[in-house]
Amino acid sequence: MEGWSYYWENRGSRLLLTAYVVAFFIFLIAPILIVVVVSFSATSYVAFPPREGLSLQWFQRFWEYKPFLNSLIVSIQIALLSAALGALLGVPAALALVRSRRRLANTVMTFLLSPLSMPLIVLGFALLFFLSRIGFGVSFLSLLIAHTVVSLPYIVRTVAGVYRGISPEFEETAAILGANRWQVFVNVTLPMIKPGIFAGALFAMLISLDNLPISYFFGSAETNTLPVVMLSYLEHQFDPSVAAASTIQLLVAIVGLVILERTYGLQRIGMPT
Amino acid sequence: MTTPTGTAEQPTTSPRSGLWSRGAGHYQSVGEWWILPAAIFLVVFFVVPLVENAEKSIALSQLLRPGTGDGYYLKLFTDPYYLWVIGQTVILSVGVTAICVVVGYPIALYLVRHAGRWSGLVIFLLIAPLLTSIIMRTFGWRVLFARRGLFNETLMDIGWIERPIAFLNGPVPAVIGLVHVLVPFMILSIASVLRNIDIGLEESARLLGAGRIRTFMSVTLPLSLDGIGTGAILVFLLANGSFVTLLLLGGGSIQTLPLLIYQQFNTTRDFGFASAMSNVLLVVALACLYLQLRLIRRRGVKGG
Repeated sequence: MEGWSYYWENRGSRLLLTAYVVAFFIFLIAPILIVVVVSFSATSYVAFPPREGLSLQWFQRFWEYKPFLNSLIVSIQIALLSAALGALLGVPAALALVRSRRRLANTVMTFLLSPLSMPLIVLGFALLFFLSRIGFGVSFLSLLIAHTVVSLPYIVRTVAGVYRGISPEFEETAAILGANRWQVFVNVTLPMIKPGIFAGALFAMLISLDNLPISYFFGSAETNTLPVVMLSYLEHQFDPSVAAASTIQLLVAIVGLVILERTYGLQRIGMPT
Repeated sequence: MTTPTGTAEQPTTSPRSGLWSRGAGHYQSVGEWWILPAAIFLVVFFVVPLVENAEKSIALSQLLRPGTGDGYYLKLFTDPYYLWVIGQTVILSVGVTAICVVVGYPIALYLVRHAGRWSGLVIFLLIAPLLTSIIMRTFGWRVLFARRGLFNETLMDIGWIERPIAFLNGPVPAVIGLVHVLVPFMILSIASVLRNIDIGLEESARLLGAGRIRTFMSVTLPLSLDGIGTGAILVFLLANGSFVTLLLLGGGSIQTLPLLIYQQFNTTRDFGFASAMSNVLLVVALACLYLQLRLIRRRGVKGG
């Protein structure tokens, strides 16, 4: 900390910076808080600040309006399954790549992470036609595959990050003491990388829950996810029920974030690598 | 079990730090072939679809319409309307990136140098919005910018305007919405580089007589260019591919390639043309990925 005074020895300019930071965070948080407040509206139109008091009627509407509830169930199923499938494919790959000495390993790692750099709308569009051509069509399975393409790199990244920080000596010690490869993997490696798997899967699930550009292309009555239904609802109507749906989704995300912080630490995920 | 139960050691060339590794190999808990399922999955469901998509747009534009002269790419790069759309996509992405640098830099500086015990809270506040849905945030901005929303009412109350301004469906809310979504990425990128700058360098500059602004311009800023670069590529890439914010906040005032793909898919259903447009986006993304790799490699060399 010492040394900052060389920069901002002037009290005034430091105050200015603090004021700017506060203003910035109001800018960042206000639109989100407003939606939460609007979701408790008692009126049938959107108004901020809300008039005529507060109510829970829009949450009730969320519960009763079938497309919202059905799509929420699809969203949660897709999030859970794509994270699981992503972990099943991604964890072994991350483990193998981290300890590999080949020059190719870096390139392969870049390849496994590259879906993160693609515009999702392009990926969704291309996948829709490919999956239709091979006969999967617009189905739950197609949606699951498309979401897994995105969840896989998130899991590879977090698991590789955790495993890289673990010294190979633990595994070597177990091997020397007579454990076979499978025993080492199950009893030593897996427990150590568990937080990484957990955090990566959770992160992938949160991304999947909000994924609109990919889900959009696979929308049908059975495969619409919550964001897709919300978008089509917003294009026709503007009432507080979308605010209620958003608030419910935020609640899910906050629970996830708290779990993430407890198990893994936010700082390690927040920093782009 | 399917894993081979051979010896734990494998011949390696470069020695590893740590006591155990001296003279011995290093432990690999899983065989290298464990990479295959993930790699095959991504080749089949990521590479092949994108390649097919590229093929399709070329085939449709050049083989199915020979001699008509209106191949998709020709149309895309000669028709003034589509040129204007491509131009707007680039201008918007560059503009949003520039705004994110200017808006985000002081926050990153604050986070690294001044936040102290608040830094946990600052990071939490930066990351929390990333996990809210994109629809939620555009909804929030729509409430604020509505005809009888908070902005209009406040402006009328203090007497700056007499009648509500139609903010919505214009470029201003769209740009604000995009900056709102993307600026945390920029801040976190810049902060991760600022954190590694030796504060002694700034102190030396000050001791040698440089003013505050001069110190910032010729010491801090150049040293943090890597962070700005990483953040800029990331933000540019994300702005380049976004369409929900533009759709719900910009109305039709800004037309970009992703928005046009969405509309082609939704209404016009000219899939070949949409493929061609998505390929243009893909090429831009690949160029960004290449730049990103070069940046990381350069930093890697410096770090080592």
